[in-house]
Amino acid sequence: MKEREVIIIGGGAAGLAAAVACYEKGIKDILIIERESHLGGILNQCIHDGFGLEKFKRILTGPEYAQQYIDQVMEKKIPFLLNSMVINLTSQKELLVVNREGLHSFHAKVIILALGCRERTRGAISIPGARPAGIYTAGVVQNLINLKNYMIGKRIIVLGSGDIGLIMARRLTLEGAEVLMVAEKLPYSSGLPRNLNQCLYDFDIPLLLNHTVVDIRGNGCLSGVTIAQLGKRGGIVPGSKRKISCDTLLLSVGLIPENELSRQAGIILDARTGGPEVDERGQTNIPGIFTCGNSLQVHDLVDNASLEAEYIIEGVVDYLRGKLKTKEEIKVSLGEGLRYVVPQRLVNHKDTIFSFRVIQPGKNKNLVFEDDKRMIKKKFLSRVNPAEMIRIKLTSQELKSIKSIKVRLK
Amino acid sequence: MKATNNHYDVVIIGGGVVGCAIARELSKYKVKIAVLEKEADVGWGISCRNSGVVHAGFNYKPGTLRAQLCVEGNKSFAKLCQELDVPYKKIGKVVVAQKKEEIRELKKLKAQGEKNKVDGLQIIDTAELKKLEPNVKGVAALYSPETAITSPYLLTIALAENALRNGVSFFLNTEVKSIAKLRNSDFRINTNQGEFISSYVINSAGLYSDRVAHMVEKDKYRIYPCRGEYYVLDKNASWLVNRLVYPVPQAGSGGLGVHITPTVDGNILLGPSNEYIKQKDNLSTTSQTMKMLSTEAQKFLPLISSRDIIRSYSGIRAKQAPSSEGGYWDFVIEESNSVNNFINLIGIESPGLASSQAIAKKIVGIINKKEKLSPNSNFNPLRKGILRFSEQDEETKKTLIKQDPDYGEIVCRCEQVTKKEILEAINNPLGAKSLISIKYRSRAMMGRCQGGYCLTRIIDILRNEFGLTLEEINLKGDNSYLFIGYRSDEVNKL
Amino acid sequence: MKKEFTCIVCPNSCRITVEFEGSKIKSIEGAGCPKGKEYVKNEITNPVRVFTGSVLVEKGNFSLVSVKTPSPIPKKYLKNIGEITHQIKVEAPIEIGQVVAKDLLDEDIDLVATRKVNRKNILLF
Repeated sequence: MKEREVIIIGGGAAGLAAAVACYEKGIKDILIIERESHLGGILNQCIHDGFGLEKFKRILTGPEYAQQYIDQVMEKKIPFLLNSMVINLTSQKELLVVNREGLHSFHAKVIILALGCRERTRGAISIPGARPAGIYTAGVVQNLINLKNYMIGKRIIVLGSGDIGLIMARRLTLEGAEVLMVAEKLPYSSGLPRNLNQCLYDFDIPLLLNHTVVDIRGNGCLSGVTIAQLGKRGGIVPGSKRKISCDTLLLSVGLIPENELSRQAGIILDARTGGPEVDERGQTNIPGIFTCGNSLQVHDLVDNASLEAEYIIEGVVDYLRGKLKTKEEIKVSLGEGLRYVVPQRLVNHKDTIFSFRVIQPGKNKNLVFEDDKRMIKKKFLSRVNPAEMIRIKLTSQELKSIKSIKVRLK
Repeated sequence: MKATNNHYDVVIIGGGVVGCAIARELSKYKVKIAVLEKEADVGWGISCRNSGVVHAGFNYKPGTLRAQLCVEGNKSFAKLCQELDVPYKKIGKVVVAQKKEEIRELKKLKAQGEKNKVDGLQIIDTAELKKLEPNVKGVAALYSPETAITSPYLLTIALAENALRNGVSFFLNTEVKSIAKLRNSDFRINTNQGEFISSYVINSAGLYSDRVAHMVEKDKYRIYPCRGEYYVLDKNASWLVNRLVYPVPQAGSGGLGVHITPTVDGNILLGPSNEYIKQKDNLSTTSQTMKMLSTEAQKFLPLISSRDIIRSYSGIRAKQAPSSEGGYWDFVIEESNSVNNFINLIGIESPGLASSQAIAKKIVGIINKKEKLSPNSNFNPLRKGILRFSEQDEETKKTLIKQDPDYGEIVCRCEQVTKKEILEAINNPLGAKSLISIKYRSRAMMGRCQGGYCLTRIIDILRNEFGLTLEEINLKGDNSYLFIGYRSDEVNKL
Repeated sequence: MKKEFTCIVCPNSCRITVEFEGSKIKSIEGAGCPKGKEYVKNEITNPVRVFTGSVLVEKGNFSLVSVKTPSPIPKKYLKNIGEITHQIKVEAPIEIGQVVAKDLLDEDIDLVATRKVNRKNILLF
């Protein structure tokens, strides 16, 4: 059994940021365990730009953003394992790692889960119809085109207006394919407004809201799909079905935080985020196991994933020094208008960054924090959108002597 | 792939679980055998797409072939799976009555089963049901301890591989177009891959057995396709049930009702539904049926959530009973009474899988009566499957990686499938190279991410280690290619 | 004529309303910073975008290197540049920022690498 102070599972945007932050806070006994043959995680295939504005005050592409952290890891000689997969994690913070060199047992005082997320599949949303070749989730196509030089089709239909779908719609167009449309089952887009602009409007790709795919045809290869409009109750609007011939169906229907190891270890998950329930320092219900990045909650900006990782390191340091209080836990209650809040509980009354997503788009809303009847803080938001995470800091002063906390959107 | 020496003693048309079982059974004798399969792999008709249940035999009318062959097959199934290194779990089944009136039906089933010589059947009450299955709702149940589950696709593949090893020739992507009787009473079988000459023809063509029968004799048989859709639940839901949970069968329907079936790998299957369709190859799933499945399943298991669904798929039953009639006809397993040496297997639907070896023995019996077959002293009943890294203990895992570092590279992270297993799956004895073939043999792409992580890695292995070109990479046969070409053709000039 | 734009420069995605006549701008409202004003001015007269894509690598440990134009280029050239990337090959090693193609379309459009690519079989970062 090899001992470490801190083991970080995942060498992507969150894991790398966590590693560098640990080092800068004086923790040197770190190990990053990464399953790919290189560091950077999903950033390596995100060759579009728009990353880094908050973190580095520059507009970078995914690989460039990753390299900023990789350079620091190399410079600081932070140890990492590549091509290594954690296949078991216990509540005692023991890990089993598999790589070509063998099966290795580790134990760490602190484990940081930075496992990223995976894509929701066709199977999970039960799209009826045949099962031909030509149906992919957007991230897989991104990998095949951006990293492998393979072309998957000529006539593409995208289901789901999440950012990955929009980015891939543009990418495929620039690679010479015809993207016929993006269908979105909700009445609003799930992607960032600027992506609608630069990925769809720029190329005259139609966005069909309230539409979804209701049938898939094709024996060997995909030959076409049927699109239909959805009514207010979610049923198909009569007469709205349309058959469209295409050779590729790209699915961008949601990301799910990756938490199989968390489940194994007995970590309690929040069904609303798909990630672990944490306190304000990113600690799960197991003392010494922290989480950050997409495996805690799906981020829309990588900068926030890195910032979140850096933020939880304070808690990691406190834990290692035996200073992390775990008494008098206050549950963060969720009121109307909000899909989720992270953290789900407070154990401290220090400065805390809260992250939220709203349920529906809206204008001129107030985010209200309350302690029973007393208002702790109110923040005016001119525009809210489920696609854009809201992050708000409450100071230790504002959180002093609260007995409870409830957040809601008015 | 034209057969060079294309004369055989027996040609089996259809490489499903029954065709492959017959091939293996016949290879125990000195017989020259060929299996002709129209798909790119074995079992892609009906065999790979069912619930994998080894029925005990209480659902069938006494005296029928279905009853007889099922019970016989069930009793020797454990041994068969042991020989072939195929998963087998005797987890038992409860047929649950939701209303007091249904208890009478349970008693009927029990009596029927006992007549068929099924062991251990008991009627249990609510309290006992609660002990066995705490999450299932019901007023009483028939408990069948002899019901088991297996992997229908691994079984079909294993039967084929063992038959191959024992001298049987397999011709995949080979579709029979016409059959002529020659003067010397041999058959000339014309396929898209050339001609085969054979003394005997065994028609185990499943959904198309009627079409094959009509190639030599008058319109006697008709197969009506009846589709069954399934949901596959995440392994995280496996705690919901311990054994198979079935409703009391409703008379006149074409199926056994919507079941809850654990798989040998720890998933749960919900289904199948029951719908007569027009086309024999229409494997689509439909939204109405999928909704119905969730509703029906929740009647027994209120704790099922749609969030646990990782996939849906369908299989098609080869029914002889038309939709107006529904229900089941008995198996037809007999030599044609108008064409000598042409043996028909018609309407092999449930319990075809459980009965497969018993059916095979019956076929051997038919031929043996006419030919006096001599045993093949070289016959080896044993076949080894692909070792599953994920199922080994820590020490064994360490040893495996030391012996072969390819065991240390996880390709499918959801199912913990290593590169070594993928290589073995691609290198399979039958030469099947499509992604579905790799999936069935290795379990890669069967997890909750459905290939999201491993698809690109498997493609890399196919290209880098096996030299497949882009065009050769397909999902389920030649006409289901994945790529239209390179993004940039300049790569060819590198 | 009045038109509303969603600025794409930063995550704030300011909604900027512009009043203009032909290419003459009368007023700009809603921009959170000067970059936003610059953006909408361009949108009316000469819309520009940064192109991102990838080109083939020879002798590298990856088969493709991701690239971008160092600064935004006229929107109308995006697809053309996309096509041209199919013809370009670069030999490893490649550094971030390295120019991999110059003066494309005779319009002074360059492509720079956005990923570090080592020579094949060399394990550096």
